[in-house]
Amino acid sequence: MKALIRYSPLLLIAIAWELSSRLGLVSQLALPPLSDVIRAWFDMLKDGELITNGMASIYRVFAGLALAIAVGIVLGVAMAWWRPVNVLVAPLVEIFYPLPKSALIPVTVIWLGFGDGSKILLIFLGCMLPVTIGAFNGARSSEQVIVWSARSMGASRLRVLWDVVLPSAMPELLNGIRTALALSFILLVSSELIVAQKGFGHLIGSLGANGTYDAMYAVVLTVAFLGFIADRIYLVITKRALAWREQAS
Amino acid sequence: MNAPTQIVVENVNHLYRPPRGREVLALDQVSLQVANREFIALLGPSGCGKSTLLYKIGGFLPVEAGSITVDGKKVVGPGPDRGIVFQHFALFPWKTVRGNVLYGLERQGMPRPEREARAQKFIEMVGLHGFEDSYPSQLSGGMRQRTAIARTLAFDPKILLMDEPFGALDAQTRGLMQRELLAIWQRQPMTVIFVTHDVQEAVYLADRVAVMSARPGRIKTIVDTKFDKNDADIFKNKFFVERVDEIWNLVKDEALKAQGKKG
Amino acid sequence: MSDVQPIPDGVPERAARIAVHVFWGVARVFSVVALLVAWELLARSGTLTPYQLPAFTSVLARVWSDVTGGDFFINTGLTLYRALAGFAICTVLGVVIGMAMARNRIANWFFDPIVSIGFPMPKIAFLPVVILWLGVYDVSKITIIVIDAIFPVIAATVIGIQGVERELIWSARNMGANNRELLWQIVLPAALPQILTGLQVSLPLCLIVAVVAEMLMGGYGLGGAMITASRFANSVGVFAGIVEIALVGYVLVKGMAILRRRLLIWHQEAHDPSTA
Repeated sequence: MKALIRYSPLLLIAIAWELSSRLGLVSQLALPPLSDVIRAWFDMLKDGELITNGMASIYRVFAGLALAIAVGIVLGVAMAWWRPVNVLVAPLVEIFYPLPKSALIPVTVIWLGFGDGSKILLIFLGCMLPVTIGAFNGARSSEQVIVWSARSMGASRLRVLWDVVLPSAMPELLNGIRTALALSFILLVSSELIVAQKGFGHLIGSLGANGTYDAMYAVVLTVAFLGFIADRIYLVITKRALAWREQAS
Repeated sequence: MNAPTQIVVENVNHLYRPPRGREVLALDQVSLQVANREFIALLGPSGCGKSTLLYKIGGFLPVEAGSITVDGKKVVGPGPDRGIVFQHFALFPWKTVRGNVLYGLERQGMPRPEREARAQKFIEMVGLHGFEDSYPSQLSGGMRQRTAIARTLAFDPKILLMDEPFGALDAQTRGLMQRELLAIWQRQPMTVIFVTHDVQEAVYLADRVAVMSARPGRIKTIVDTKFDKNDADIFKNKFFVERVDEIWNLVKDEALKAQGKKG
Repeated sequence: MSDVQPIPDGVPERAARIAVHVFWGVARVFSVVALLVAWELLARSGTLTPYQLPAFTSVLARVWSDVTGGDFFINTGLTLYRALAGFAICTVLGVVIGMAMARNRIANWFFDPIVSIGFPMPKIAFLPVVILWLGVYDVSKITIIVIDAIFPVIAATVIGIQGVERELIWSARNMGANNRELLWQIVLPAALPQILTGLQVSLPLCLIVAVVAEMLMGGYGLGGAMITASRFANSVGVFAGIVEIALVGYVLVKGMAILRRRLLIWHQEAHDPSTA
């Protein structure tokens, strides 16, 4: 019930959308009625267009993110744990941090063409940064006294890394991964809108070029909501992992 | 007590309604009369509602049951006649010491030369000469509290409300501040309502100490603590020791009760 | 994880300290320089074609010619105009909406689901819709920038205002401040650190979206120039574009950091307090 009240403005917007379009208050071409959009969505689902393109997009996000997370964690923790690694890598992080990752889109195309490879590379490069920073800050935040306690109880340096540093690093790390998740969707859509032959972004572009705007809206909403749902699912999963952490009410 | 009564608190209740969970009665039929220029301490264990009572007198919390009047007029909201000093200073961090002290005077519409002179006077009175242009983040706890006191005294409130003002300071600074506050008050007597949980502090500073019970807060007893506070060896003074003993015995049970009832 | 640098016996302490400083200073630049050298060597070695990896020196030459030829400034100016116009709107609109949400229940009820759902969405997906409504000119670019970058500003403003200590507000009311004075003299300054943090997130976002929008729509601007280079298989141009965009991004982020430090002098001065 509470959820209904909380999200009711969205319902109002949906109703306003349907009405203003049907009643001709806005151009039906620029804003097809919501019901048409929904119908187009089901049509695309049935004839497989949505699935084929969707699968391509989701695959790219998964692959790119997985790589970014794996490499990012290793890099970030290594930076925090061994000073030489930090000295070597930190300047690079500082340089690449302010670079708008979308600027890399044309380069990935030069290297890997229009297909999956360029998108995965882009997502990998772009998303590695927030994960690395999250892992780094998280690993650094483990309290010295806890580390010392573990050492005095006989844990080796490597053991401490696994038993103390990694769990302490969790909150920051998971936050970094959350940022990377949102970024992956942004990079995916951006690159697919500009240079792709498959995927959500490409589908949106071609539907738009064809003038089938109701279908275009359907895909736009699909990918937008997918990004939202991915974030929510992520929060649910990570909440359990962080249950030990006191929640500030 | 021949001085006229200034503040009358009558049968005040306070119901605390947390966002989740049941309502809790924080204050239960509290009545109190404070005379003009009197220094009275509100003493009690944590959670007894002493700060709540202070906030009601200050007009920050509404009086829903009972009444509070100041000089015959009902309290309906905060105002410059009842100046407040908080435990955690509540200084405006983006303003300098001078900026903070000037704020109340600006709100009163005092003309510039007058208010600058007045602000300077109070900054010097609390011993912060030379720090006028410092920001709170550059000052120690004791200095911040002095700024807060200067800020409140500057706009000349009739009544001074103090909510455990020295609670956030270390023991030595606290002792110094207590002495300074007493000196300031003795020079320029005003009505002071001073909330604390420290028995010695209350007996040292106040003319009377209102001992409050554990939640729901009631005024248990009021003890007279008016004697010569300028004794150099005050902590060994006969009156001091007797009063502290008496009040401590009163508070002891309440403190234990308060500990037993957790939240 | 503490590092103790052993000072060799017999060497004057001061000299040793300077040597350590210099060492770490060099070490910090080391990896960047090493990377650039490796890039140059790799490009010249012939393992990759000049198309795949143009030499660093040729890229640098291209950047230089862009700067001297004025192209750099035209494109940068255009992209910056769009990004900053969007940023200005984000700032004003975002703070206003955030203020409304923090202080008005109806505003909060209406905007909260929009912000909460909109935040994690790849809002760039709405670019084709915006183009459909507003055409292919700057208006649509600026609009999509605002749609994307306004969220961190709103969220930060709400958090900032809600986080203002109650005792600050009470002190101000105690001293006679009315509601208007309370809002402008107390609440907003107190919320400023948090709001600035939101703006610091929003600014780079404005640049990113500007570049992406330009890439999609072509024409002039840093993103448009890059896509044109890409279409003409001019990889030197593409790499040069990355360097130029990186430069602009760096300047913006640094500029914002300096602005923050200026505005929040009182905040940053969290020195260890001197004992009174």
